[in-house]
Amino acid sequence: MASKGDLLLEMVDLQKRFGGAVALRSARLSVRAGEIHALIGENGAGKTTMLKILAGVYVPEGGSIRLGGEDFRAGSPFASISQGIAVICQEPSLFPDLSLAENVFIGRQPKRGVAINWKQAQSDAERLFKELGVPLDSKRQARGLSIADQQVVEIAKALSMDANIILMDEPTAALSASEVARLMTVMRALRDSNKGVVFVSHRLDEVFAISDHVTVLRDGQFVSESPIGKTNLQSVIKDMVGRELTELFPKGKHKIGEVVLEVEGLTNPAYFRDISLKVRSGEIVALAGLVGSGRSEVARCIFGVDQYESGTVKVRGQVQKPGSTKKALKNKIALVPEDRRQQGLFMISPISNNIAMQSFGDIARRLFINFRKERDLTSTWKERLNIKFNDAKDPVERLSGGNQQKTVLAKWLATNPDILIIDEPTRGIDVATKAEVHRLIDQAAADGKAILMISSELPEVLGMADRVIVMREGKQVAEFSRSEVTQEKVIAAATTSKKAS
Amino acid sequence: MSRFSGLLRGREFSLALILVVAIGITGTINPRFLTGDGTRDLLTATAIVALLTIGMTPIVIMRHIDLSVASTVGLTAWLLADYSAKNPGTNALTMFILGPLIGLGAGLLNGVLVAGLRLPALVVTIGTLYIIRGIAYVVSNSVDYNAQEMPQDLLELQFKTYFGLIPFTFMLVIIGVILVGWYMKYTKAGRDCYAIGSNPPAADLAGINVFRRTFVAFLFSGFMAGLGGVFYIIRFAQVDSTAFYGQELGIVAAVVIGGVAIFGGAGTPVGAAIGALLVQTIQGALAALGVAPFWKQAINGTLLIIAIYVDRVIARRSEKSLLAQRIRERA
Repeated sequence: MASKGDLLLEMVDLQKRFGGAVALRSARLSVRAGEIHALIGENGAGKTTMLKILAGVYVPEGGSIRLGGEDFRAGSPFASISQGIAVICQEPSLFPDLSLAENVFIGRQPKRGVAINWKQAQSDAERLFKELGVPLDSKRQARGLSIADQQVVEIAKALSMDANIILMDEPTAALSASEVARLMTVMRALRDSNKGVVFVSHRLDEVFAISDHVTVLRDGQFVSESPIGKTNLQSVIKDMVGRELTELFPKGKHKIGEVVLEVEGLTNPAYFRDISLKVRSGEIVALAGLVGSGRSEVARCIFGVDQYESGTVKVRGQVQKPGSTKKALKNKIALVPEDRRQQGLFMISPISNNIAMQSFGDIARRLFINFRKERDLTSTWKERLNIKFNDAKDPVERLSGGNQQKTVLAKWLATNPDILIIDEPTRGIDVATKAEVHRLIDQAAADGKAILMISSELPEVLGMADRVIVMREGKQVAEFSRSEVTQEKVIAAATTSKKAS
Repeated sequence: MSRFSGLLRGREFSLALILVVAIGITGTINPRFLTGDGTRDLLTATAIVALLTIGMTPIVIMRHIDLSVASTVGLTAWLLADYSAKNPGTNALTMFILGPLIGLGAGLLNGVLVAGLRLPALVVTIGTLYIIRGIAYVVSNSVDYNAQEMPQDLLELQFKTYFGLIPFTFMLVIIGVILVGWYMKYTKAGRDCYAIGSNPPAADLAGINVFRRTFVAFLFSGFMAGLGGVFYIIRFAQVDSTAFYGQELGIVAAVVIGGVAIFGGAGTPVGAAIGALLVQTIQGALAALGVAPFWKQAINGTLLIIAIYVDRVIARRSEKSLLAQRIRERA
């Protein structure tokens, strides 16, 4: 048992790259027994990568990790657990059909003779739940448990395995206010029993409410570490931002025309409430905010994929029938979804098919597709978007992430939309291609399209948008024009319920 | 108290209740159904299917399926009859040893393909269904066997009962249900099966040996199908290469009606065996009502769809209440 203040974990100069993208340059984190340590940074700062290294999912390429006095054995979830590390993911993965007691003790059930002693498993689990201040019924199924309670089960599991370092990846992202309060009680109980708790969060008020120490990462690099009493919101935000903006494509000035897309009071109570926005032709409006704040769901409703409870979507002044992608397509709306592998492309189909997919109406002759036209269309867009491939008949899964994203863009641009909704346009693609995608979006705006861009990358939001709308927890909380927007303002609006003064 | 309410909520309990009601109704239509003879007939007729549901249950719990069992029953039964015809003086014990061994061979094949090569069980076992039946056609060369070529002590088991009510074969089913039921509930290996079916990626992360559990489950299913071959001889005392042809889906249906989730993670051998009994009882009731036997298959199918529909309704209801809860929390 560690005593308070002992150094439990020390990660120094950690490095990790994925293909061409550098996830960690020189990350650092040290955790002591009996503290809650917040690990913060923007999207892409490398927090989750660090957690996954500790969880045994990734192997670092450089740097050292020491646990107590020993070297950390990386690369196996099982080894991580046996070294006393428990990582609790954003969406815990329990066994829905099994009881809570069983979820806590799976693979390590207490036994009497050869048989599992269920009575003991249940009472042990209930004792753990009670210690955590959340008296759950250990005999109930995990199915239907709220995410907050699922986290409690995961924490109980970690405790039952004698973990002394417990890392939580955005545990509060999906919780209601009362659940957050309860989780904080649990975290304090863990701290008081001399565990080291690492808390990854985007919600800065929570960070300041509960942590003892805060480490800030930026672009995979350690920026600062300080006791919470010796820092404040402004200086933490200052450490988080300050990313390089120079590598972005410079946005041109375009003529902004009529309102093309108008959303009024759009509400889908499970995800967002009362969203109103306008996008004019030639204008780029960015929807900023944290992942899970309801932005993608708004886009899906506008495009008619999901139903909404109230509110209207108007295109060129005409109300669009809700819940019909057919109507949205007819209104010349295009949606480039955030997950191109699952939603944007048919991965094993040829590139040419994927590009022509939405334009079959134009290139078909009666029932049959005119393949010469499909080839022409493909080569036109290959040239215009500078997509790199050898053979249009290759399956699209062979392309790099950046070229896949361009392929999705080509598919939708080929339909000549008036309204282009792009969800996370440059996620997971390299810097050079990012700049190209930005050039394409800018070109689309120059062509008079109305563009609604959802992005979690602040430099992208600031670089591209004429106006920025910020969402937090399903609500529209702030709007900034291009001239007044700063990274600090957007982060403050997206992460804190009070205004950063 | 809490144990009792848990029992009330359990799927097995509601199934048993439905079974009692079905037996009651059948009994009022046809009083013979409730006599000792009627019960023996019902249990005798159910024994093979009930036995095979025990073997199928762990597989379905792990999100797999084994459609080759009926072919294995047929091939085993023919090979056993052939063996005893060529080796006069063969006794029942030999049959009870050889049968499961032959079945294990089929299980081994399925296990290697599904667990080892990670091929989808549905496709693999459709393949082995045809392969094993094909082998039966080839080796039998259209030769049939009758009672006189079979071990007489084995055939006499047909008439052996316990407490004057439970036929020998069904007694073995009861023992199997108890053993496998206990194994599934009280051993780590048994619980691993539920974990694998409930959330496969999480099972990997929990360090569960998915390969070994899957492999053993298919071996066991083959073992039970081999035993089913012995049961077949006891019941019918006559074998040709088409023995037990086309019965595989009836077993899957009984398992699902018995509350084993077709998407894995839930169910018990007890429930599956009750499912088999329920199907047989309803068949009996319809026969008593004078419904033409042609309807048998259609009724089976209807039962299956009702069972899966009930599961779906329950699942929908809990999904809806979850969504409502989420909306309340957001507000």
